This record gives sequence, structure tokens and C-alpha cells, in this order.
Amino acid sequence: MNKILECRNLTKIYGKVVAVNNVSIGIGKGETKVIFGPSGSGKSTLLRCLGLLEKPSSGSIYFNGLDVYATRQDLNKLRARIGFVFQDPSLFRHLTALGNIMLGLKHVIGLSESEAWRKAYEALRLVKMEDWANYYPAQLSGGQQQRVGIARAIAMDPEVVLFDEPTAALDVELKWEVIAVMKDLADRGTTMLVATHELRFAKEVADEMIFMDQGQIIEIGSPEHFFTSPNTERAKKFMAKILG
Amino acid sequence: MTPIEQIIFLLKAVPVTLAISLLSFLFGLGLGILLAFMRIFESAPLRYLSDSYEKFFRSVPVLAVMLLLYFGVGPFIPIFKDPFFTSVFSLGIVSGANQSQIFRSAIGSVGRTQMLAAISIGLTRFKALRYVILPQALFLAVPGLGSEIALLIKDSAYSFIIGVIELMKHTDILRASQRSLILPYVSSAIIYVVMTFPVATFLDKWGSRKKKELGL
Ligand SMILES: Nc1ncnc2c1ncn2[C@@H]1O[C@H](COP(=O)(O)OP(=O)(O)OP(=O)(O)O)[C@@H](O)[C@H]1O
Ligand SMILES: [Mg+2]
Repeated sequence: MNKILECRNLTKIYGKVVAVNNVSIGIGKGETKVIFGPSGSGKSTLLRCLGLLEKPSSGSIYFNGLDVYATRQDLNKLRARIGFVFQDPSLFRHLTALGNIMLGLKHVIGLSESEAWRKAYEALRLVKMEDWANYYPAQLSGGQQQRVGIARAIAMDPEVVLFDEPTAALDVELKWEVIAVMKDLADRGTTMLVATHELRFAKEVADEMIFMDQGQIIEIGSPEHFFTSPNTERAKKFMAKILG
Repeated sequence: MTPIEQIIFLLKAVPVTLAISLLSFLFGLGLGILLAFMRIFESAPLRYLSDSYEKFFRSVPVLAVMLLLYFGVGPFIPIFKDPFFTSVFSLGIVSGANQSQIFRSAIGSVGRTQMLAAISIGLTRFKALRYVILPQALFLAVPGLGSEIALLIKDSAYSFIIGVIELMKHTDILRASQRSLILPYVSSAIIYVVMTFPVATFLDKWGSRKKKELGL
């Protein structure tokens, strides 16, 4: 199967810390994959590298089969086609919800003010935030901010969306509204790679789960596989821990 | 002249003082933003240039720059024979160094994750600075810029020495022509306070309020 986004032998080193160690994964059109693993296992680093927000120390990244760094692609152009949702939503604080989404539509894609407005509003409707279009991030709850963050990413019509623990910073009551939006996206066939510990989300929508520890991939399998009989001791322990 | 006449005479010089301050502020603003941006880009020579500029002009008295340009450079480059231009220019290049520092610290407090988020939607680094970082930095810089305007209004008094007809010059004319020293100097001082204090206070309040509202 042709992968939209893929990394081969990706390694990222910060000083002496090997944050990601020789990882190869890929995601094909319409797939939803979940990455999970203990804190510090390298999930964020891996996603940032795949999102072309950070350059790998070694290894390659392929976007639609093209080796991004070897063929010297225009990174800005590619980033526009890869959505990224951050753990702290990182909304632009000086712009309203609508303004946050319109910025990329206007200054990256080049839509006119009115086209950008229509498209941004559409994206807000998808995440059920249209009533909050003219509110500033500081006036929104964490869950609402995160939904706007998701709208900002999907409004660009990316080919794949990367989520870095989008619900980790939220209170339990607020998690569900965000997870509901993500499920909805997965059901619509959005290609998604999601770092999360929300196992219910994983169970319902993930085609594949990837367990990481200490920068390496320890085990890959279906949700079914991880819930019933993970192979490795580490995965077993970790599943037990988060299932509480 | 009656006291009232003297005060009116002083007030007539206020537009020139304000013009010098405002123009040099705007010049310094452009320069400050440019210098702050140069610090952010990857190019080492640009960073070095901006850094040296800032260090140098934050350590040199405005008056020294003004006198050097007017008396030293003026004879060779005619534009510096114009006292008004030379005073705006001198105040501006020194203010540029101050404003660069104000913007640098403001940009620093906007935070790295905003840049990452801007890059993630495909904005170039320059557009990210222009549309995401700079607008937020401007809000954060407003209180500092308020103090800078106040400083420029005060420092514009140096222009009197190279012959600009501004508030300090009018004060000096009164000193020479009238009996009382107290009235011209005290009135002039009060006029300076009235020009600087409200601007600085208003911008400080406004900036702090915006900062809170937007959660910056
Ligand atoms: N910018 C950085 N500079 C230095 N070290 C870093 C940097 N980013 C990550 N690291 C280190 O790399 C390792 C992996 O971190 P990473 O944030 O990718 O893990 P994670 O799986 O996302 O953890 P968490 O669940 O806490 O978010 C950690 O040891 C971390 O300290
Ligand atoms: Mg992380």
C-alpha cells in the first residue's frame, strides 16, 4: 500500500539523549494509527519529525513516496499538507477562533478574505465551534481551544493529520468533546496519526497501535491484540497501568 | 511679557518638540523592529551586526551623536547641516537600539510554541514573524514603548543646542529676555511633564490590560 507519510530508520538525538531511535513507520490513506508509550518515550519527537517541524539526526522521511530531505523539498509547502495538533493547543493568542483558521488559508493557500472566511467557518462547524467564531483563545475552555486547534489543522485540507496527545492537558469532562471530534474525523476517512493514551478512542477507531518506549518501537498490533495479549512484557505492564 | 504671554510663548514651541519626538520614535520603531528581526534569523553576520549596533548606541549619549553629526558630518554631507533633521536622525538611531531591546524581550516572551504552530500550517519563517510573532510582541512591547516615547520627548530638549527652535529654545529666549528665571523654567518643566506622563501611563495601562485579556 502506498504510504502518505513514512519514516525509515529515523533517529533524533538531543545532546546525549537519543529521543527517537531507529524508528520506521508509515501511514496510508484513510488509516488511523495510535502511538502510545510512557512519558519520555519519544512520541512527540517522532511526530515533530514526521510533521517536518524538526530535522531528524539521521534516517529519511517520505511524503507520498518522495524522500523529503534528500530531494530538498520546499518544507513550507509540505507542512501545509500535513496537519499538526499540539498538546497545548498553541492557538494564536492575538486572533479569534475564526482568525486562527483564516491565517493559513489566506497567507499559505492564498484564498481571498471571503473565501477564507467561508472555509474557516465550515471548519468551525465540523468541530461544533461555530458559535464561538469571534472569541479569543483566552476566552475559551481548554477543550474548546483544542477543537479550534483541530479546525485550524483540517481547514487546510491536509493529506494527513498528526495529533500530539491532544487531550493530555484537559480535565476529564473536557476530554470527551475533543475525542468525539477526533472520532468524527476518523469516521470521515481522515488520515490520522495520534499520540494518545485514550484507549477507548484507540479501540474504536485505530487500525493499528504502535507502542514506544525509550525512543524505540517495542510492539505494533491491532487494538484487539494489545487489549488481549500483547507479546512483550513492557507493553503488558503499560496496558495494565493505563487501564488502571 | 505677562506670565500668561510667556506661557503662551512656550506653548507655541510644543508642536516642534512633539514633531521631533514623534518622528524620531517612528524612525526608531522601524529600526528597532528590523534589528530585532536580524537577531532572530539564522545568519550570524546579521546577528552580530544587530548586536554590535545595539550595544554601541545604548552606551553613547544622544547629545554626542547629535553634535558629531551636526558639526562633524554636516560640513561634508549637507543634510546634516539641517538641525531639525539631524536631531530627529540622532534621536532615532539611538532610540532604535533601545527599541530593538524592547522588541527582543517581547518576542522572547511570545514563546517558541507559537512559532512552531505558525510553521506547522505552512507559513514561512518570515510570514510567521510578520503575522503571528510580531503582532503579539507589539502588544507586549507597548508599555516599554510608552517609556521610550517619554524618554524621546525629554531628550528632544538636546536639539536646542544645535539650534532647533523647540520648547527648550523658547525657554532659553525667555530666560535671556525676561527678569524672572523661575517662571520660564518651571512652566517649561511642567509642560514636559504634561506631555510625557499621560502618554507613558496610558500606554502602560493599555498594554497591561491587553496582555491580560489575550493571555499573553
Ligand atoms: N527539544 C528538546 N531538547 C532536548 N531534549 C529533548 C527535546 N525534546 C525532547 N527531548 C528529550 O527526548 C526524550 C523524548 O521526549 P518526547 O517529548 O519526545 O517524549 P514523549 O513520549 O512525547 O513524552 P510525553 O508523554 O511526556 O509527552 C525525552 O528524554 C526528552 O527529555
Ligand atoms: Mg509528548
